Amino acid sequence: MTTQSNQQGSIFILPQAIKTVARNAALQSYGVISLAPANPAETVSRFFKKEADVGILVNTEEDGVSLELNLIIEYGLRIKSVADSVVESVKYSVEKTMGIPVKRVDVHVRGLRISNPD
Amino acid sequence: MNDISRTLPDEAERHRLLQSPINGDGLMLLFEAGLLWLTTNQQYVNSLNVFPVPDGDTGTNMVLTMQAAFAEADQNRSTNVGETGRHFAQGALMGARGNSGVILSQIWRGFSRALDHYETMDTGLLMRAMQEGRNTAYKGVVRPVEGTILTVIKDMTTAAEEALKDDSSLSQMLVSIVEAGDESVKHTPELLPILKQAGVVDSGGMGLFYIFEGMLRMLQGLSLDASGAVLKPLAELDLSHALETVEEGQDYEVVIDFAPNGNFMLEQYYDGLSDIGTSIQVGEGDGIYRMHIHTALDKRYEPIAYTESLGVVKKIMMENLQDQMNGRNKEADKLTLATVNPGEVAVVAVSPGDGLSRIFASLGVAAIVQGGQTMNPSVKELVGAFENLPTDKIIILPNNKNIILAAQNAAKVSVKKIAIIPTRNAPQGFAAMLRLYPEGTLEENEESMREAITEVHTGEITISTRSVEIEGVQVEKGQVIALHDGKLVSSAPTIEEALDELFQKAHLDEIERITFFYGEGITQQQVNKLGDRVREGYPDKEIEIHEGGQPHYQLIIAFE
Repeated sequence: MTTQSNQQGSIFILPQAIKTVARNAALQSYGVISLAPANPAETVSRFFKKEADVGILVNTEEDGVSLELNLIIEYGLRIKSVADSVVESVKYSVEKTMGIPVKRVDVHVRGLRISNPD
Repeated sequence: MNDISRTLPDEAERHRLLQSPINGDGLMLLFEAGLLWLTTNQQYVNSLNVFPVPDGDTGTNMVLTMQAAFAEADQNRSTNVGETGRHFAQGALMGARGNSGVILSQIWRGFSRALDHYETMDTGLLMRAMQEGRNTAYKGVVRPVEGTILTVIKDMTTAAEEALKDDSSLSQMLVSIVEAGDESVKHTPELLPILKQAGVVDSGGMGLFYIFEGMLRMLQGLSLDASGAVLKPLAELDLSHALETVEEGQDYEVVIDFAPNGNFMLEQYYDGLSDIGTSIQVGEGDGIYRMHIHTALDKRYEPIAYTESLGVVKKIMMENLQDQMNGRNKEADKLTLATVNPGEVAVVAVSPGDGLSRIFASLGVAAIVQGGQTMNPSVKELVGAFENLPTDKIIILPNNKNIILAAQNAAKVSVKKIAIIPTRNAPQGFAAMLRLYPEGTLEENEESMREAITEVHTGEITISTRSVEIEGVQVEKGQVIALHDGKLVSSAPTIEEALDELFQKAHLDEIERITFFYGEGITQQQVNKLGDRVREGYPDKEIEIHEGGQPHYQLIIAFE
């Protein structure tokens, strides 16, 4: 949980909320097809989880958060460029909408989708 | 860029290559034209970037992607459009940079797939290639954001479909595509609120538009060069022309800061301006443009009216150059030095720069000797400066520790009574001058001046000429170093950082006024920017900026 305080009170932001924002930003990034379960355990447990939970890990740190994203990317793109823009746009969205500094974003490419064999 | 700056084919050759249906060579020429025209407009595209992170490099990313694509196809030249397209798309994929670059690579990937196995390309095939490009680009994203390059390729493709129905020629089809692209780009702020907020059009879409416009320009035989319309970062804009000679028709200098409308075209703006005046420069920073022009007397209001028609004018600065020149010449030619009456105390100051000399003169110095860090004046020069003054009471301000010794020698060889105030820099010299009381005795003056120089602290900013470690500060050659009262306090890659550290060590709580004297290697504009930064950081201090003209030291700073 991330806490921000001022004289008027405190704001608590749960990892769940951060995941939703990060998920949306990632899916709007060019080349990202979907988020993928991070490990077999998650594959099983995803049946019981909300959609927004899959493939995103939020670690709360002392002065911000760090994120881990597991992605499926469109085949035939320069993966590095796609990953770079995902990192940028996730970091931007979370920082801009929630005011929480994002310390790092790690992207794991879990697979590629081939929609156009050529 | 050098690898593709070959001479483009001449008129006849171009005509032959671009005759529909075009082959692989013709397609290469179109790709090259797209790349060149995008490169020409790269800075402008960069300036439009706001989404999703305002990092301002869309133009550069797209150019790099196009360069990689072109280089790959250039190495594998073929007269077959299918082959050419395949290599071009392959190169784009490998070299894709940034979000727009990736999408662009997808457009070319689809484009080339449609060309596969074809020898030549006619209008029908171009249309199908556009369709494939659009489809492939859209497939790469789950939730397409409209108002981006995707929308622009979509609208261009629709125009190509329409044009085919109308039985257009290849060049007519390209005209339709480019016109639709232009409309589409202008419309992007309506689809994407973030663009509207920022008051710009989509940068990726604009880049794609330039690529196709470049192809059309090639077909029409128009220039793909910069045509004078080069946009520079604001800080690089050098507006110090006024110091040079003023030519015919350059009576006024007009500088306008403005925020252009969404559909602002830099090239057209240049054309418009060149009808009004000369020495045109346009710079950009944070979405604000700065225009600089020299005009004749009767045209001095025209740039303002013209710019107002294209955007929101924020600030206007106008200077009468003719008058400025007259004033400056007088000032530069002779410093008005203080006249010394017989028996009074006279001061000789060593000054490293014109600006500093003027300040010394205004404070009542009777003679000035040029000299400083690496140009120590000789004893003879020093003696010559005061030998003819109608008094025997002389004070010397060496204003540099390397010159104190020469001053002492000058005192030995002269028959006059001489006091040396060990000023180590110009600010100390100024502080001393403020205590000058010409009617007093030499001893009185010396005592109060010596006291004065302990009350001013000095900062200096310069570039290190070698790598060294001094007092625990590691300095690399070429780094900016800051000195406080002669002691090294900071070594940093930029002046800003060095200044910040200097200010932290300068005990600013006891300081009321900070004066900057800027020298060689830094422009007035840069100093003004630094000044603004300091004003923001230390709102309770009084900040003054003067031209010092000293060599080696970008800045000499007085803390009082």
